[in-house]
Amino acid sequence: MNFVLLILIYTCLFSFMALGQNVITGYGGMLSLCQAGFYAIGSYSVAILTTKFSFGFWPALLVGVAVAVVVGILIGLPTLRLKGDYLAIATLGLGEIIRNVINNWQSLTNGPMGIQRIPMLSFFGYRINPYLNKAGFLLMLVVILTICALLVLRLSKTRIGRALEAVREDELAALSAGINSTVYKVLAFSIGAALASIGGGFYSVLTLSISPGTYTFMMSVIVLCMVVLGGMGNVLGVFLGALIIQIISYLPELLNLTNLIPPQLKEMLFGIILVVMMIFRPEGILGRSKRHKFERGGV
Amino acid sequence: MVANVICPVRIAALHAPCRQGFFGIMASFFQHFINGITLGGVYALVALGYTMVYGILKFINFAHGDILMWGSYVGLFTYNAIRGSAGPGAFSIFAFFVAMLVSCVFCALLGMSVERVAYKPLRKAERLAPLLSAIGVSYFLSNAAQLLFGTQSRKMDYPFDNSPISFLSVSITPHQLMVLAVSAASMAFLIFFINKTKTGKAIRATSLDQDAAALMGINPDRIISVTFAIGSVFAAIAGMLVSLDIKIYATMGMMLGMKAFVAAVVGGIGDIAGAVLGGIMLGLLETFGIAVLHIPVGYKDSIAFVVLILILIVKPSGILGKNIREKV
Amino acid sequence: MVRRKMGLVLLVASLFALFAVSCNKKSGSNVSSGKGEERTVKFYFIGPLTGDYANYGTYCRDAVEYAIEEFNRSEAAHARFSVQLEALDSAGDQNKALAQAEKAVADKSALGILGPVLTGETFSVAGMCQNVGITVMSPSATHKDITDTGDYIFRTVISDGLQGEVAGAYFAQELKYKKLAVLYTMNDYSKGLYEGMKKSFESNPGCQVVMTETCNIGDRDFRTQLTRLKSSTAEAIYIPNYTEEMAQILEQASQLGIKKPFLSGDGFSNPIIYDNAGAYTDGVVYVAPPQVKASTLYSAFVNAYSKKTGHAPDSFACNAYDAANIYIDAAERMLNRGENSREAFRKQVAATKDFAGVSGTINFAPNGDLIANQGVYKVNGKIPSFLGEYRVVNNKLQKAN
Repeated sequence: MNFVLLILIYTCLFSFMALGQNVITGYGGMLSLCQAGFYAIGSYSVAILTTKFSFGFWPALLVGVAVAVVVGILIGLPTLRLKGDYLAIATLGLGEIIRNVINNWQSLTNGPMGIQRIPMLSFFGYRINPYLNKAGFLLMLVVILTICALLVLRLSKTRIGRALEAVREDELAALSAGINSTVYKVLAFSIGAALASIGGGFYSVLTLSISPGTYTFMMSVIVLCMVVLGGMGNVLGVFLGALIIQIISYLPELLNLTNLIPPQLKEMLFGIILVVMMIFRPEGILGRSKRHKFERGGV
Repeated sequence: MVANVICPVRIAALHAPCRQGFFGIMASFFQHFINGITLGGVYALVALGYTMVYGILKFINFAHGDILMWGSYVGLFTYNAIRGSAGPGAFSIFAFFVAMLVSCVFCALLGMSVERVAYKPLRKAERLAPLLSAIGVSYFLSNAAQLLFGTQSRKMDYPFDNSPISFLSVSITPHQLMVLAVSAASMAFLIFFINKTKTGKAIRATSLDQDAAALMGINPDRIISVTFAIGSVFAAIAGMLVSLDIKIYATMGMMLGMKAFVAAVVGGIGDIAGAVLGGIMLGLLETFGIAVLHIPVGYKDSIAFVVLILILIVKPSGILGKNIREKV
Repeated sequence: MVRRKMGLVLLVASLFALFAVSCNKKSGSNVSSGKGEERTVKFYFIGPLTGDYANYGTYCRDAVEYAIEEFNRSEAAHARFSVQLEALDSAGDQNKALAQAEKAVADKSALGILGPVLTGETFSVAGMCQNVGITVMSPSATHKDITDTGDYIFRTVISDGLQGEVAGAYFAQELKYKKLAVLYTMNDYSKGLYEGMKKSFESNPGCQVVMTETCNIGDRDFRTQLTRLKSSTAEAIYIPNYTEEMAQILEQASQLGIKKPFLSGDGFSNPIIYDNAGAYTDGVVYVAPPQVKASTLYSAFVNAYSKKTGHAPDSFACNAYDAANIYIDAAERMLNRGENSREAFRKQVAATKDFAGVSGTINFAPNGDLIANQGVYKVNGKIPSFLGEYRVVNNKLQKAN
C-alpha cells in the first residue's frame, strides 16, 4: 500500500511543478523548460536552512519560495522577450545553469555529495514521518495542493488571468490595448517558479536526503508532458496528466511484471504514448477548460 | 617494477620549467586552440542537421541526436563486419568509408520515417505538439538502442594510426585533422547544394513559405522528406567521426544534440554558415573559457547556455540570422 | 463529445482498477511458507537499469542473478530452500529508487534488498529501509556516511574514504611521490575518493596535491584539463573516475603526449577499459578490492559470468555477487534456526564472519561497513598484475599477507 501511496505523493509533488507550468505555458503561453530548476531551489533552500541554519520547515519553505520568485524575476526579465522554441531552449539552459551552480557551490550546497539528514517535518508539533506515515504526508500535500489549485483557478478569473490570456493570444494586440506584457509574463513566470519550489520543499522532507543528480532537464520535460497530456490551461487536466505519467513510469511494478518487461520497454512505451497522443489528441485528454473557450468565443 | 614507472617522470620533471615562459604559453595557447576548434567542428556537423530541419519546419528535432546514435551503431557493426581483424591501414580506411556510407543511408531512411510517422501528421498542429512528439521519438529511439545493443559503450577502432603529429610541443591527431576537413567540406557542400541546385532552391522556397512553394509546383512533402534525409546524413557523418573519439552508447546523442542545437541558434538558426560558425565558436569558448579564463570546469555546460542567452538577448535571430520583423 | 467523456471515464476507471489489482496481487502473494520442505526466500535488486548509469546497474544485476541461479541449480541447496529475485529499475533517480524500495518492502515475502547501486539513491533508500526495518546491502555505494544511517544498512564495497586512504598512503610511502595532480569527476563517488586520497597523501611529510582539475559526469572531452595537467610539476596523475571517463582520459592524454604515469581507483577494475583505452593503460597503478587471481572461486565466477553476459565482471559486479551469496548464506542460517523474519535476517547478515567471497574475505564493522584490505594492481600492457593487499594503520601503510 505504501508503494501506491508514494506514487500518489510523487503525483502531488509533480503536480506542484505542473501547476506552475500550467500558469506559465497554459495561461501565459510561454514555453518554459526550467521547472526542475525551481524545484531544485525549493529543495535546496529547505535542506540548507533546516540542516545548517536550524530553521523550521515552514519558514524555510517560505524562504525557498521567495528565492525562487527572485530568481524567476531576475532571469525572467531578460529572457521572457524571447518567443517559442527560443524561449524553450533558453529556459532549458537556465535550468541546467541552476543545476550547475548547485553542483559547484560546494560551501553552501555540499556540491555533488548532496545533503543528508534533513529533519522531518512537523505540523503544529505533530511530526510527520515520511517513511511510516505516508497517508498523513499525502493528506497534507493534497490539502496544500488543493489550496494552490484554487488560487490558480481564482487567478485565471482576475484581471491578471485575462491579461495573460490576451498576451498569449495576441501579444501585439494586448500591447496596444495598454497591457504591459512584460509585467504579466514575469508575474506568471514567478508564480510558476513559486509553485515548483513549494513542491521541491516538500520533496526534501520526503526523501530526507537530496543530491543534485535529481533535477535534470528531463524532469522539466516530463512536467511539460504532464501539462500537455492532461490538457493545457486545465487545472484538473494537470493532475490527471501527472497521475498518468507516474502510473506509466511504474507500470511494470504496478502490474507485478518486472521480471517479464525489460525496463527499457516501459520507456519506449512512454515515447510511443507521447507520439500517439500528440497525433490523435494534441490538445490533451481534457483539453483547455471550457470556460476559456467560451470566453474567447464571446469576446 | 615500480622504479620503471617513476624514472621517465623524474626526467620529465627536470624539463618542466622550460615549458613555462613565453614559448610555453604560446604552445599551450595553440594546443587549446586546436582542441577547441575540433570540438567545435563536431558541434558544427551536428548543428547542420538541426539548422536544416529548423529552417524548413521551425521546430526543434529533439530526436536528431538519437538518429546520430543509431547511425553510429549501424556504422560500427558494418565497419567491424567488413574490417574483420585487419589492423589500421588502407583496408580499414576503406571499411570505414563503406560503413559511413551505410550509416548515411540508414540515417536518411530513419530520419525520413521518423518525419513521416511522428511529425508529418502534426504539421498544422500547435507549436508544442511536434516538440513533444520529438521528445517521444527520442525516448523511444534511445531506449530501443539500449535494449537491443546493451548498456555497455562500444569503441570503434581507428582505421588509421592515430598517433599525434607534434610540432614544437603542440600536438594534433590525424583524427582531429579529419574532423576539421570533413566539417569544412560538409559546410561547403551544403552551401553549394542549397544555393546552386534545383532541390536546394526548392528547399529555400519551402522554408520561406510552404503554401507559396506548393503553388509554384513544388511538392512540400517531398522537399521536407529530402531535408530530413540530408540533415540525418550529416548526423550519420558526425556520428561516425565522434564515435572514433568518444565511444558509442545509447544516450550519447543527448548532450551532443543539445550543445549542437545551441550552436545552431547562436550562429543563426536556418543559416548554414551560421551553424558552422556557432559550432566552432562554442567549441573555442568552452575550451578557452576553462583553460584561459579559468572558469571552473563544473560550469562548462553553462558556458554554452550563458552565451546562448546573451546572444539571444542582443540579437534574437543569432549572429548570422536575418532579423525578421514581426508581421502585424 | 459524450463519447470522449465516456472514454476518459473508462480510462481513469481502468487506471484505478489497475491500482486495485496490483494491491490485491501483492497481498495475495505473501505466502511465506513456514511448513513443508520446499521453502522460498525472496530478495529484491534495485539499481539503474535504464538511463545514463544503466551499465553499472546491469553489471550488478547480472551478478546477483547469476549468484541466485547458481544456488537454485545446486541440488543440495535446493533440497533446503530456494531463492527468488526480482530486479527493479531505479533509472539512477532517487525518486524511482525510493518507490522501488517501497515496492520491495510492500512484498511481505521479501527478506532484503540488494543494491541500490549509486550513492544518491542509496541514501534515500537506506533512510526508508532503516525506518521500516529491512536489510539493505549495496555493492557499490561508496559515500563514507551511508552505513551510519543505521544497523540495517550494509555494503560489500569499501567506503571511498578508506580506499582513498590506502591509495594516498601507497602513493606516498611505496611509490615515493611528493607531488600529485588529480583529475576527478564532480560527483560523490569520484570526489569522495579524491578527498580520501588527498587527506591521507598530504599527511605524509612533504607530500602535496599540486594541481586539481575536475570534469563533469558524461564529459567525453578532457583535453583542456589534460593540457593544463601536462605543464604541472606533478610526478603522477590520480584519476579516480568511472571506467568510461578513464578510458577517454588515457587515450586523450597519450594523444597530447603526456608521459606522466596515471593512478586510479576501483573504477579501473572493469576489464572493458582495456578494449576502450587501447594501449594507453600500460603502467597504470590502481587500488581496488583484492581479487586473488589464483583463487578458484574468483576465476570460476569470472568464467561463469562472462559466459552468461558476454563480458567480464568489474569489481562492483564481484561485490554484488558476494552480497547475494552473503544474503543466501544468512538466509540459510536463519532458516536453520527456525526463524523467518526480516529482523532475524538482519541479525544473521550482521553475524557474517570471514565470508570467503570473490573479492576476498568479508567481515562487517558494527555499523555495517565492509572491513577489508585493499588490493593494489599495476597494469602491464593490458594485464593487471596484483601487487598485494594493503591496509593503513596510524597513517602507515601495512602489507597484509
